[in-house]
Amino acid sequence: MEHEAGKGGMSFIVRQIALKSDGSEIVRAENHVQDEILVGRSSENQIHLPDLAVNPVHASITRDDDGKVQVQSVSDLKFELNGRSVSKGTIDPARGGELRFGGHVIAVGKDAETSGIVCTVRRVEALSDSAEEKDQAKIYSLTGKLPSKRLSAWGFVILVLAACLAWPIYTWATYRGVEERPDKFHADTMWSSGKLSLAHQSLKDDCQACHVDAFVSVRDNACLTCHTEDAHEHAPTDRQLVSRGELKGFAKFRRNVAITFNKPPGRCVECHTEHEGAGAMQPTAQQFCAECHDGMDTRLTDTKLLNAADFGDSHPQFRPAVMTKPGGDNPPTRRISLDDNPTEDNGLKFPHNLHLSKTGGVAQMGRRLAGKYGFGASLECKDCHTPDNDNVRFQPVDMEKNCSMCHSLAFDEIGGTFRQLPHGKPDLVRADLRAYFRSTRPNRPINLGSRGNSNNPRRRPGDVNAARTASDYARAVRFRPTRAAQAIRAVFSRGGACYDCHGVTQPTSRSGLNYGIMPVSQTDRYMHKGWFSHKAHNDESCESCHVAATSGKASDLLLPGISTCRECHGGEASSSDVPSSCAMCHDYHADEGAPWLIRNQNKPKTISAPDKKAAPRGQTEKVARRQGGVRNDRSGG
Amino acid sequence: MASLFANLTGPKKRQKTAGRERNSAHDGFLRHAGYRWLKIFVLICLVSIASYFWIDVQPRHNGGSWYGYTLGTIGALLILWLTMLGLRKRAMTAGSWSLKAWTSAHVYLGLSLIVIGTLHTGFQLGWNIHTLAYALMMIVIISGMFGIYLYATQPQKLSSNREEMTETQMIEALRSFDRQLHDAAQPLEPEHAALVQGSLEQDPFSGGFFKRITGKYPGCKTRYAIAELRRARTYAPRTDDNPTEKVEQLLERKEDTMWRLRKHLQIKAMLQVWLYIHVPMTFALIAALSAHIVSVFFYW
Repeated sequence: MEHEAGKGGMSFIVRQIALKSDGSEIVRAENHVQDEILVGRSSENQIHLPDLAVNPVHASITRDDDGKVQVQSVSDLKFELNGRSVSKGTIDPARGGELRFGGHVIAVGKDAETSGIVCTVRRVEALSDSAEEKDQAKIYSLTGKLPSKRLSAWGFVILVLAACLAWPIYTWATYRGVEERPDKFHADTMWSSGKLSLAHQSLKDDCQACHVDAFVSVRDNACLTCHTEDAHEHAPTDRQLVSRGELKGFAKFRRNVAITFNKPPGRCVECHTEHEGAGAMQPTAQQFCAECHDGMDTRLTDTKLLNAADFGDSHPQFRPAVMTKPGGDNPPTRRISLDDNPTEDNGLKFPHNLHLSKTGGVAQMGRRLAGKYGFGASLECKDCHTPDNDNVRFQPVDMEKNCSMCHSLAFDEIGGTFRQLPHGKPDLVRADLRAYFRSTRPNRPINLGSRGNSNNPRRRPGDVNAARTASDYARAVRFRPTRAAQAIRAVFSRGGACYDCHGVTQPTSRSGLNYGIMPVSQTDRYMHKGWFSHKAHNDESCESCHVAATSGKASDLLLPGISTCRECHGGEASSSDVPSSCAMCHDYHADEGAPWLIRNQNKPKTISAPDKKAAPRGQTEKVARRQGGVRNDRSGG
Repeated sequence: MASLFANLTGPKKRQKTAGRERNSAHDGFLRHAGYRWLKIFVLICLVSIASYFWIDVQPRHNGGSWYGYTLGTIGALLILWLTMLGLRKRAMTAGSWSLKAWTSAHVYLGLSLIVIGTLHTGFQLGWNIHTLAYALMMIVIISGMFGIYLYATQPQKLSSNREEMTETQMIEALRSFDRQLHDAAQPLEPEHAALVQGSLEQDPFSGGFFKRITGKYPGCKTRYAIAELRRARTYAPRTDDNPTEKVEQLLERKEDTMWRLRKHLQIKAMLQVWLYIHVPMTFALIAALSAHIVSVFFYW
């Protein structure tokens, strides 16, 4: 690379600028009088750039005749001219230009005095990345590598509050007072603390069905919107509060806290807790009932109810509603303790002992009719008593169905058909008997000859006999209708068909025939405050509870007392065969049907109850065992 | 318990000796004051669990019973107090309410929240805000436990890795190697110079979080330059004064320092990373807890 100096008078002034450690500049200038200078990493170049990004000989710089500076890459690497990457370029020195090779910049311009080309070389990049200024507190930490803690903390706070607080409140505000929400996702359902009970599944997307007002606890009128029929009061609230007694100690404290937090006592939801999983409502625990009913008379002094706390050892004798006078649609009843051996006149005469006897006429008749009616060696309860549709109680005994197999009311036979006195209609009985005697003749005496064979009478010799017979018969025919009165009297009197079973009222006048039948009423249910299902006791014989075989009068009340029940049933926590909580026979919201515990057991088990804790301990299991595993058919309603 | 934590938490407590004050300056926060807070932790757990079984809540345990509200209130106040460590740690003091005592209480009371919080739920969990708050609480606690584990294990590794080098010294060493490399590489062919330039230009602190935490930098240009130069030298005729050889040696020494630096960064990242979960999740938890409490009273 030899260049002759002075030729053409062209000169390049190369000024290398270096920085001192204090930041001041050192300028080193060299003058090259030649046509062309070279740029490169090699120290032989006129412009020596100790830069690894630059080739040993990278480019050439020449000045053409016009005075312009031509820069041309002599290697395969480009360079930058005024910020653009090129392999060749022209600079007007009067206007100046900037070349960049690697980390170096060469400013090209014109020297005002000598009109030579000035190339000012300056390193603008540190020779390595590590040589640059570094903030040690930052580079050695995770700063910048992860989203900052502050940023993500605020991000999460905003996200959670927006999604889980603002959105649900917006939903609540949107659907205030709306009867039914549309079927879609509602943000406030994310506030639900657990699944609703099976009965309330349909409300699971409609929080406001129960939670009507913000910050107001669920009130009873929300429940009563739907429960118009089945949520009647157990007892007036004031009486309940009296029987509950003053709360003491911690319970009182809890009550006060609840009131402070706007949770008034005695609301439906105190017992009917929700969001406890998709089970059914649990039957009431014995303790809950006992809180009021144990020793209640000391607090609620005017109560007619007797104290009860545990079926096994603290429950009064049964007081069935005993009918005091039969007749009418609603015969009067009175609750009498079974300890007082109540009797009940139902208007019938019926000795159970006679009918259930293994010997004697009734049994004999039963055996004779066994082929026709399926009787056994002697009569049994089921031969006359028919269960009702639900097998819970019994249908009333019906004369035609249950008595007439033996107690026939037939009085006439016409062509093989028996005519019966109409049961329950004394007027028709009288009319039928009168009609019978009016329309029939007495038996024709044989000596007058039978109707079909009148030409051949068998008679005693002598006309006088014939005449007497004829006149006797004529009188008999004439007075035949008056025989009806006799028959009517007979049927309503001792030994007559009516009198056998019914009380009979005498005619109003001595010669009258207007006999009447005393009214009959059969009690279908004695225990209206408790539930008893015969079906649940199918494994037991009738006699194990009802002492019918020795009862000689229909007025004997054949109900078993509490001691009979206690042979199997004990209190909720007892070790009896069937531990029984109050809820097995009673309901808090009692109605005519079976208690909730029984109804719940009989429901088809689609979703199993998550927790049996609240059910009386061991109760359902033991009942099931006693009933040979048949549990779902315990009773109807 | 004591032996389990003994090697994690510094020297064992000195036996009491007559006439000498017990020096607890080197006790870790886990064993502070003779495991005082560990004992309190155990007591809280026992009382909570026993009362859970002893108190009969009908129909079953849930956050809405009086017992549930009690546990919930205790838990919520605990969470707020535990969060206060973030403020408290900025002021180091001594004494029985020293920062160490505070940290010890933070750790053990935080752990007891597992029991208090879980019993508060009554094990009734679902896809709702309440379980979200519980889940966030568990994430915070578990990340905290991870942090304790790291604080117990990593500082030792950190100190054995750096061998008394300070962070400033590490970066100065790199700068020195870079200067030497720059000079030594001047005679190299353009393609070899480019390899060295690559090493010089690469930021030793570059690489994302994943590279930091794993300590694996597959795109390391220094290592690449070494490999390439070594391969080139294998096929080049052997000469006495080959500048490549010197460059290569310098690159290897730089790589050693880089390896140590990266190990250092990895351990430091471990010591910090759990806080990137613990702290934001704490705030997410407080937000969820607020929503949880408001929702309970809103639909009261």
